[in-house]
Amino acid sequence: MVRAPANNMKIRPYLYTLLFLFMAVVLSITIGSVFIPPADLGRILTGWLNRATFSEPVKTFAFILTDIRLPRTVLVLLTGAALGGSGAAYQGLFRNPLADPYLIGVASGAGLGAVLAMSYKWPYSFWGLMAVPAAAFIGALLTVFLVYALARVGKTIPMTNLILAGVAFGSFATALTTSLMLRSTGELHRVISWLNGGSSQAGWHPVLAMLPFLLFGLGILLLSGHVLNLLQFGDDQAQQMGLPVTRVRTLILLAASLATAAAVSFSGIIGFIGLIVPHVMRLWFGADYRRLLPLSIIGGAGALLLADVMARAVMAPQELPVGIVTALVGVPFFLWVLRRAKNQGYW
Amino acid sequence: MFPKCLFLLLIIPLGTACGPARTSAPGAISTEPPASEVPAGTSIRLTDDLGRTVTLSGPAQRVISLAPANTEILFAIGAGAQVVGRDETSDYPAEALALPTIGGYSGFNLEAIVSLQPDLVLAQGGGFNSPELVSSLEELGLTVYVLPNPPTVEAMFNNLGKVGALTGHGAGATALVDSLTMRVAALDEKILQLSFPTVYYELDATEPTKPYTAGPGSFVDLLIARAGGINVGAELQGQWAQISLEQLVVANPAIIILGDAAYGETPEKVAVRPGWGTLAAIQTGQVFPIDDNLVSRPGPRLVDGLEAMAKLLHPGVFK
Repeated sequence: MVRAPANNMKIRPYLYTLLFLFMAVVLSITIGSVFIPPADLGRILTGWLNRATFSEPVKTFAFILTDIRLPRTVLVLLTGAALGGSGAAYQGLFRNPLADPYLIGVASGAGLGAVLAMSYKWPYSFWGLMAVPAAAFIGALLTVFLVYALARVGKTIPMTNLILAGVAFGSFATALTTSLMLRSTGELHRVISWLNGGSSQAGWHPVLAMLPFLLFGLGILLLSGHVLNLLQFGDDQAQQMGLPVTRVRTLILLAASLATAAAVSFSGIIGFIGLIVPHVMRLWFGADYRRLLPLSIIGGAGALLLADVMARAVMAPQELPVGIVTALVGVPFFLWVLRRAKNQGYW
Repeated sequence: MFPKCLFLLLIIPLGTACGPARTSAPGAISTEPPASEVPAGTSIRLTDDLGRTVTLSGPAQRVISLAPANTEILFAIGAGAQVVGRDETSDYPAEALALPTIGGYSGFNLEAIVSLQPDLVLAQGGGFNSPELVSSLEELGLTVYVLPNPPTVEAMFNNLGKVGALTGHGAGATALVDSLTMRVAALDEKILQLSFPTVYYELDATEPTKPYTAGPGSFVDLLIARAGGINVGAELQGQWAQISLEQLVVANPAIIILGDAAYGETPEKVAVRPGWGTLAAIQTGQVFPIDDNLVSRPGPRLVDGLEAMAKLLHPGVFK
């Protein structure tokens, strides 16, 4: 299952994915509904670092770039990284090709929390505005803990139990969310947009708020490549090799869920990135989790940035919720990769 | 029925629960002297739907409207020339269509809004424009005023006064409110002596056995009562109420108004719906389409909608 990497495979995958991410960042900064001439773009970026001031019309361009596009680019990049990394970790943890970061209820729990928060009119203040992301975050984590507790048998957590409890509770939460939506009167477009990853608060606050959870979660995931490799041999074998299976599994689950919950809270529910990106990376670069995890993090960031650029460009000046683009464009791309793959039966 | 129903819900968030306590005192604005009489250089301070105090150094000269009702208000009070951008769904008056759009329901484009350099962004409250959008715009240094979603026709008049004050067209707003008030008063007076027919207002009938109608407290419910009718949906629960065909047959409305006419429903289609033939309104041919934009947008055309509704309910009295 774990292939020995060929020598030239060690660096190249990182080069390719980092190049892809770099191009995605460049596209995300250059493409928007307002055209900023490339010459101005360079001047603005260097000027921004030196805290220079500009005169019109460059002043407006500079403002758009530094206060709208850059924070959004960073937010989307981090969200994509969290989804890609968590997706790879979940797939390894569950040894299931269908696993994605939402498998055990992060999305449905976050959705329920967000919709509950949206059904109340909060005062217009910092905390009032934080109510929806905070409720989504709490909803996601509560769901994961609940599912975890439900799936537990004695001192072990059988993966099948976890998946089944997750899917079952997910359906339950989704049903609650839908009934809330049907009863709601005015705020429905906000809810639909959120459930499709179309929520975006401008500025750097969301980035700063999600960053600690993300660094913690992704940091642990980056360290757990070897453990995930061992887990691929099955619980008994991993245990015999001296791995404290339950404890390790709980930690990875917590890290991935924390990163996903933080990402989802501010961006809404974005599907398919966490499912597809790890698979594409696996198809192209092999199944060694020590490499698959960082590659999925980089790839997820790049892929979501690209999807976000399309979401902004397709119907400009309207914006499509990015979750729709990831499905509409991501799925055909993935099927294409899957059919072209030389190593069929790669899983 | 689900997708279309949702779409309709997006279009008509009128009369929704907007926090009643947050709006400033009713009538406070329209009775004040118009802004154009305020000496130049005097700042304008108004409290908005979110309870924010919005200050302008003078009448706004570059306004972006984030809602169709706001666009209609701006043009109706004579501030059309000061509007520099509109949301995708602002399609009235025709002059507004020439303005650049800055997004719509699926998302508003912050770049496009900033690049138009507005000195005022006019949003609509009551769940129409999200507080996240308002805070994003605020964070970008823009001045945003959120108009409350008015629960009554009179509260809508109050909104006209506020927009008048913000744009320096207080006199235009006052004149408009006066003429609209007279039209509503004339209608109110005629209604007094009439007997009220029962009315079913259809919002969405993608599933004809359980269509959606205007429930109690919804704006359409208020307009029906104001136009001299009894809304059969008033007995139901929720502003977006689902009514079963069985309940509808029991209520047996005298008049059916098709608020979903814009989505292709016609009296002919309604007549051939299975089970609907027994309804009195269908047997007597009292099924009428209506331009739902007139009754769903909290702008000055609501009075047109009220009059159109009165004509349908009392064709002998209102010609």
